[in-house]
Amino acid sequence: MNSKRFSPTSSTIKSRFTRRFLRALLKINRQRTRTPSSPMEICQRYLKVKLAADVSMASAVGSRRAWSRAMLAKIRHGVRAGSTTSLAMRKRKIYHGKKSTKEVGIVGNAKVLRKLVPGGEAMDTCSLLDETFHYIKCLSTQVKVMTRIADQLCST
Amino acid sequence: MVLFWWESLSLFGRSYGQCEGSYVVVTCDQMDMVGGDKDKFELESRNEEDPMNFAAPSPSPSVDWRFGGLVPTGNPMAVSKGSTSMVVDSFGPTLWDQSQTANPQNLGGLFSDINNVQNSAGNSDTLGIRKVLNLKGGGGIFLPGNGMLPQSLSQFPADSAFIERAARFSCFNVNGGNFSDMVNPLESMGGTNYFRGGGMMQEVFGGNGQSHSQKNEVMNVDEAFKDVSMSVGEHEHEHGATGGGGSPLKNVRSHDEAKQGIGVGGSGPGNDSDEAEFSTAGGQDEPSVLEGTTGGERFAGGLESKKRKRSEQDTELDLAKVGPQQPGESAKDDTEIQQNGDQKPTSTTNKSSGKHGKQGSQASDPPKEEYIHIRARRGQATNSHSLAERVRREKISERMKFLQDLVPGCSKVTGKAVMLDEIINYVQSLQRQVEFLSMKLATVNPRLDFNVEGLLSKDILQSRAGPSRLGFSPDMPMAYPPLHSSQQGLIRAGLSGLGSSSDLHRRTINSQLTPMTGGFKEPTRLPNVWEDELHNVVQMSYGTSATPNSQDVDGSLPPGHMKVEL
Repeated sequence: MNSKRFSPTSSTIKSRFTRRFLRALLKINRQRTRTPSSPMEICQRYLKVKLAADVSMASAVGSRRAWSRAMLAKIRHGVRAGSTTSLAMRKRKIYHGKKSTKEVGIVGNAKVLRKLVPGGEAMDTCSLLDETFHYIKCLSTQVKVMTRIADQLCST
Repeated sequence: MVLFWWESLSLFGRSYGQCEGSYVVVTCDQMDMVGGDKDKFELESRNEEDPMNFAAPSPSPSVDWRFGGLVPTGNPMAVSKGSTSMVVDSFGPTLWDQSQTANPQNLGGLFSDINNVQNSAGNSDTLGIRKVLNLKGGGGIFLPGNGMLPQSLSQFPADSAFIERAARFSCFNVNGGNFSDMVNPLESMGGTNYFRGGGMMQEVFGGNGQSHSQKNEVMNVDEAFKDVSMSVGEHEHEHGATGGGGSPLKNVRSHDEAKQGIGVGGSGPGNDSDEAEFSTAGGQDEPSVLEGTTGGERFAGGLESKKRKRSEQDTELDLAKVGPQQPGESAKDDTEIQQNGDQKPTSTTNKSSGKHGKQGSQASDPPKEEYIHIRARRGQATNSHSLAERVRREKISERMKFLQDLVPGCSKVTGKAVMLDEIINYVQSLQRQVEFLSMKLATVNPRLDFNVEGLLSKDILQSRAGPSRLGFSPDMPMAYPPLHSSQQGLIRAGLSGLGSSSDLHRRTINSQLTPMTGGFKEPTRLPNVWEDELHNVVQMSYGTSATPNSQDVDGSLPPGHMKVEL
């Protein structure tokens, strides 16, 4: 994404996210127990990593964007609500299918999009599209960085 | 209450000295004070007040000369004050005299005269009434009595649209809809005194009157008031010096100007439009608004697509027509108007005659710009709702275009609904990718102590496509190379993570991952894997034997894989 920039000192969203995420990963991995991890532990660690990814991305973006603000607020205030939604529950939701199949049209899709984009509930369609645009950009950055990290960790 | 209002006015007048423009300031400040009821009270209190202390805003000179019989009585008083005040004084007492004499007919006749003049200009309200009303924001001065004004007002061909506009002019509780009309005729006067006394107010009112129909009427009014007071103050200084010496002369001249102004205003709608333009000081849309609302009688010709500078030029022209006697003041007035125009935001919002090209709101003054001003395009509905909706729709489609560029594979998609579908899919796939990768990172055994974080950062930041094959390809079980156990576990975990999160949409995600990741090898195999991982079994290979899960990945898993259900 930022192939043009090779200097790590440039503070782009990507660099900021990378740094924060790596720090968080370090911290998480330090918490690892020596023993082989149990599935629960792995699951918990997975959630922590995911949370770290979200937090580092949102904080890298800062408060400039509504979705980052909403995500940070949700994390700070609704950690209990968010993480307790176990993966199983989420899977069940996915099993039930995408809501967009039920609701057609722009409005219906907009509703689905609102659920996807953090903080999208309290936005009008116009700003929702704005936030979606930025959110997609940041998500793709996140994915790229994380894949590179994973590659680095796995391959070496 | 009457006295209170009156006294406050006088106080204001005194505070601003005896300058001619003082009235204007007073008036402007008092604008919000003026209420419909107060108008009547004004006149009554005026009756009691000493005419010499007539600090109240004066009717325009035009009114004075129109009320020919009344002028002489007011002259002596007028001399002491500024032109506008003089006019007021002259008019007020004279008017009162009329009222005292219980001669509503005269006033009615006067009003009707004014009305006729205005009618010629296409406006329902008479200049005089307008001016009076303008000055007081309610025409209180000219309310001869409780009963007179209503009569006279009733004589005015009610311009329903105008009245509607005036009614909407919330800042000024004007009697009926005379207010905005007052502004325009006042502007047409063009006289310096007029300008100062009434012109300032004209600007204020003009800007307000034309903007009153819009949402930002309050804003404009307030700002206009500020502007007016500011400009008035400046004018006062100018005119105070000159006025002191030659106030009588000025008064006379103002009268003349008023006459000329009225004549100009009456004769030419174009002048009025110009004047209106002039007075509104920068509200290009305002004239068009008036057009739409009043039918554009007065401003039909000149207002369309007039820019502020042009309005100033017109103003100068009008002033030249009206009174070359005070060119300096006219120039100052123009500057004042310009300043006011600069300070005042374009008042109109969306209403327009529909004939203008789309005009961006950014053309108006940003500091006080509060609303987006749009011009309806030719042949399009000028309903405010439809305009706003059109703006909204255009914004949305503009953003959809951006999103189309961002989301891969959407260039050929047309239509917002399908586009939104694709966007939703893409967002979901990205989110799941993040989940998968975080799972991967959680399960990876950090053989490195992460000391190489710096190296990692550099490497990661230097996005080179080489080492980053998106992690999938080497980890794919398809290859099934002799992998490290952890790596195998990662593969399983990754697959299961993917499968778990995208159970129903794995195909979608797969299809999207393929173009996105670019390095996706053998994507066709993924569905098979995912189907095995239907129940989100995370298979961790740590060498520990766990309860074998019935679901196995392709059956080729090395033994000892532990499956974790999440």
